[in-house]
Amino acid sequence: MILRPFEYVESQTVDDAVAALRGGGDDARVIAGGTALVPLMKHAVLRPARLVSIARVPGLADIAPATSGGLRIGGVATHWAVSHATLVRERSPLLAYACARVASPTVRSMGTLGGNLCYGESASDPAPALLALRATVRLHGPGGARTVPITEFFTGFYETALQEAEVLTSLDVPAMPAGARWRYLKWTPRAQEDKALVGLAAMLVLDGHRCRVARLAVGGVGASPVVLARAEQALEGQELDEATIARAADAAAGEVEPMDDLQGSAEYRRDMLRVWVRRVVAGLAEGRAS
Amino acid sequence: MSARVTVALRVNGRAYERVVESRRLLVDFLRHELQLHGTHVGCEQGVCGACTVLLDGEPVKSCLMLAPQAHGHSITTVEGLAGRGELHAVQQAFRDAHALQCGYCTPGFLLAAVALADHGVALEGAALREELAGNLCRCTGYQNIVEAIERYLRQAAGGRRDG
Repeated sequence: MILRPFEYVESQTVDDAVAALRGGGDDARVIAGGTALVPLMKHAVLRPARLVSIARVPGLADIAPATSGGLRIGGVATHWAVSHATLVRERSPLLAYACARVASPTVRSMGTLGGNLCYGESASDPAPALLALRATVRLHGPGGARTVPITEFFTGFYETALQEAEVLTSLDVPAMPAGARWRYLKWTPRAQEDKALVGLAAMLVLDGHRCRVARLAVGGVGASPVVLARAEQALEGQELDEATIARAADAAAGEVEPMDDLQGSAEYRRDMLRVWVRRVVAGLAEGRAS
Repeated sequence: MSARVTVALRVNGRAYERVVESRRLLVDFLRHELQLHGTHVGCEQGVCGACTVLLDGEPVKSCLMLAPQAHGHSITTVEGLAGRGELHAVQQAFRDAHALQCGYCTPGFLLAAVALADHGVALEGAALREELAGNLCRCTGYQNIVEAIERYLRQAAGGRRDG
């Protein structure tokens, strides 16, 4: 598979990258790890005339503690780095685990967290985790820096809030509450390295059997990864008995707009989401965490 | 605008510098610019792992990486494993366990195994198979491949304890 020729620009700063992207117009693309972009270029789905690398911008791969108790994770930190960082494992084990479920080890050591999100794929593993954690995306473009709640970042089928010549510089990930129970469930039709048919991230905080906080998000089901807001509402403030959990599972199945593809039908996705919300929440309620 | 870039890197400890088209993939850079043919081209889309090499010690798919992405980095290919006249421990384990059939996937598996040992991973069975998910053997000779890597990882872990 021979790629079409393109210009390769190595950025030293984020401003360099933004300027190179502006100069390249619609034909310019950001490259970080390349695990999504290069295959798309091989299949001529994308034909960029200019690639702007942000992989070597100093500081952009850093994983740092935030004063709030959370984390700031640089956009070009690899899935491997995020899943192995002690800081992430301690403060946000749900995210560390989800990053460790991405594809295979070789892809995890190349692909970056920011690249994963900017690709806008529904079946992203980190996306539902970051949605459940209510992370914030930090972008830098021609107009300077801005932030977008991750709940507003995914706007459609392979579409995101990223605007022309913008770069995802980092993510702010709030700390998980003390005592939070969590799970990322990746349901794949064949092997572990496949894309998720249902990628369900869940975080619950309980007072006894009563659910104080419920955070649920799913990837792979609809056109974009989404928060399961109605399922969360069905759980919060409630005793987590069988009937409540079943209502939440039904709410989740009812609020998604699943898609059909070769991996599975829309109805199969809806049914499997109902099953996995029920099992995951029941498991967390019983203390079978992660 | 220039579609050509200078790529300077180390491969198996030796420094190389070449001016190549920016669309040159790392696997083609290794094979065609440096004449290191041990790294194989398989699926060309990041699935089969025949092209696995180590980039600063981490396993990567060299068919998904552009040569300029590897600029300034240190690469290990299968040619860098064996010493003078002596097989690397992972190669010896593959030989002892009869872990290659056609051999096409072998260089990728060897480097994936070396990365596991270097990270101090001593897995076996299903957990090891999951770590090897990025490498496919079309002869389906997984039983002996997994056995060879189990042996090698045990040996590497033992060496660290004894050392």
